[in-house]
Amino acid sequence: MIGRETSDDAGVYRLTDDMALVQTIDFITPVVNDPYDFGRIAAANSLSDVYAMGGRPLTAMNVVCFPVQTMDKAVLREILRGGLDVVHEAGAVLVGGHSVEDPEIKYGLSVTGVVRPDRVIANSGVKPGDALILTKPLGTGVLATAIKAGLLSEQAQRRAVEVMATLNRKAAEIMSGYPVNGCTDVTGFGLLGHALEMARGSKVAIALFVGEVPLLPEALDSARMGLVPGGSFSNRSFCSRHVLGAERIDPVLLDLLADAQTSGGLLISLPGDLAASFLSDLLAGGVAYAAIIGRAGGADKGTIELR
Amino acid sequence: MSEQVVDCRGMSCPGPVLKAKEIIEGGSVASLCVLVDNRAARENVGRFLSRMGYKTEFEEEQGGFTVRATREESASACESLEGTENPDTRDKVAVVVGTDTMGKGDDTLGRKLIKNFIATLKEMAPELWRIILLNGGVKLAVEGAESLSELQSLERNGVTILVCGTCLDHFRILDKKQVGETTNMLDVVTAMQMADKVISVM
Repeated sequence: MIGRETSDDAGVYRLTDDMALVQTIDFITPVVNDPYDFGRIAAANSLSDVYAMGGRPLTAMNVVCFPVQTMDKAVLREILRGGLDVVHEAGAVLVGGHSVEDPEIKYGLSVTGVVRPDRVIANSGVKPGDALILTKPLGTGVLATAIKAGLLSEQAQRRAVEVMATLNRKAAEIMSGYPVNGCTDVTGFGLLGHALEMARGSKVAIALFVGEVPLLPEALDSARMGLVPGGSFSNRSFCSRHVLGAERIDPVLLDLLADAQTSGGLLISLPGDLAASFLSDLLAGGVAYAAIIGRAGGADKGTIELR
Repeated sequence: MSEQVVDCRGMSCPGPVLKAKEIIEGGSVASLCVLVDNRAARENVGRFLSRMGYKTEFEEEQGGFTVRATREESASACESLEGTENPDTRDKVAVVVGTDTMGKGDDTLGRKLIKNFIATLKEMAPELWRIILLNGGVKLAVEGAESLSELQSLERNGVTILVCGTCLDHFRILDKKQVGETTNMLDVVTAMQMADKVISVM
């Protein structure tokens, strides 16, 4: 049903009239210092793609690169323990995995889930008049760089870790009760990149209300300090041709809109008149950072306008 | 104040910013020139240095960028970087020497040991801040003393040597002192209080 051609989050294969398989794989290099936290974050990041398709994860397999010869295996055990905890939290089962000797640590999951074929949510279904809701704050890329530089307070680190390790499960469950037109999770291409993908795939114009976009509290400050990861700069220049109004925005804020996220939130598009009720359900369900951040406009080749 | 050139080519973020941070925290740097090979590093280093109170200019050359930063002569420039007013954040070690012979058992051996001790003190640098000579220790600072040249060399390298005036007077060698400042007990006590670490040899 969904394959390689539409830069979507996961592949979807119809098994029967009322069941389709959702498959995805993702693994990342460490973004925090604590191995257990890294395991949780990497697992939440991998599972997120299933949620973004409207699916429910069933099984997961570990994908591990680890320097077995030179590093303490206790580190690996902690990573896997973090991953397993999050797999269980997702209601899925860990059924195996594969590891490779590698000087650089990498960890993630291959996840298999199910979705009803008529409930598959692609990123290309956005309709004019839709409201866009983001369920997690931006800034994890910048803060991961700040952690790497040793320039982030313990408290700010904790907050960034918890945001990244939080599953998109609750948001996805609430989303299943609404006639959602489009959804993706915000990851490596940043909010701008993923919103642009949605706009182009759906042939609409998306306006983002820059002041409404939730940000991690320390992210602006860290970006001003010069702690923006290279990938976020690339996102910004990649998107710039299709983004209108960028010149009116503080360049540091623009970097955060383009900031490459690890285990970012869901970007959900649904009819505008349902947005307020959806948002209040999300907030009541504990999706604390959720906010209405944009609106889809008339037919267009696919652009983003910043307001 | 000095000018420094740092080559951060081949480094990815946040490497160049950390390198620049290390350099401006290491002392009073009037101007800094950072070479980078990618646009992200150029922006980040520029941002960081202007945040730290430097005026920045950029040049693009083949295969890289140069960020030139000059300290702006405003008071506010110093406020954002903690410790800028006192860039010397090294521990201050005060060594109190209250004898001209080290340890108990044999004074001939003890005198050899104290000579060797003074000669080896320079290995503490740059933490070595003050040497305080008391009681028999003042005999190390007078003409003819075997440790004199070593103490003079430490003094030339910025170590303050305090020599107890009461003690010099007691041994009637006040006029033979060849190194350090003649001092009183108030200076000794203040130095001990200000030091991060006091090492005593009695």
